[in-house]
Amino acid sequence: MEKIERVGFTRRALLTAAVAGGAGFAGPALVAPLTANVNDDAVELIKQLNGKIPMESDRLHLAMPRVFPTGYTVPLFLEVDTAMTETDHMRYARVLAPKNPLIEVATFHFVPQRSEPRVWTRIRLAEPQYVLAVVEMNDGALLMTKTWVEVATNGCT
Amino acid sequence: MFTPTPRVQVPSVAAKGEVFQVKALISHQMETGLRRDPQGDVIPRKIINRFACRYNDIVVFNVDLHEAMAANPYIEFYLRATESGQLEFSWEEDGGHTYALTHQLTVG
Repeated sequence: MEKIERVGFTRRALLTAAVAGGAGFAGPALVAPLTANVNDDAVELIKQLNGKIPMESDRLHLAMPRVFPTGYTVPLFLEVDTAMTETDHMRYARVLAPKNPLIEVATFHFVPQRSEPRVWTRIRLAEPQYVLAVVEMNDGALLMTKTWVEVATNGCT
Repeated sequence: MFTPTPRVQVPSVAAKGEVFQVKALISHQMETGLRRDPQGDVIPRKIINRFACRYNDIVVFNVDLHEAMAANPYIEFYLRATESGQLEFSWEEDGGHTYALTHQLTVG
């Protein structure tokens, strides 16, 4: 039997949960994104996914082009300032694209002393949005950062 | 249907303790399950959902990929050279199929 289970969070599931929980997501996309609104929504989203509240951190460096002609293959570079020793390392880095039909992009798992806290890849984006990176450190702390990416085409359909 | 081809670029020799770069690519459509074919039926989802790198049988780096990763997923990461041995790269696809590549690394 081959049933492919969709374990990712769809926007619909999260919107329903958010509205039910009383924390409304911002409505239709605004032309000029308000940083206050986006921060709250991002924190809400991560709180629902992880159960913990993330902190914006300078230790994360998420580099993506501000403007990119196609949403099919947008470059992404993520680096975290950590020594990757047994006592100070990151367990995983999760990338989320809240405006995509399917929000989760990828989760990168690292091992202290073996892998470096740096990764480069390409992702699909449906519309201009803030791409989020959430990192869990070995002490359980959640750090996050975001970057604005404006894509000209919808890469998700 | 073409067969997804994995490709890896890794140095063959590294100094002990040195950080080396690994570039991993697999040619795969990464069908999201959101597209429709000309008849209007949904094309089922079929993506690479996991990539793992094993260094002498220890998983040193792995990625859970989802639909929002680009087609022909390309991942570039960095590892520390600890001892000589074998690097195994595996890409797991929806449905259970795995594509794998191995590479010998000499650490001196």
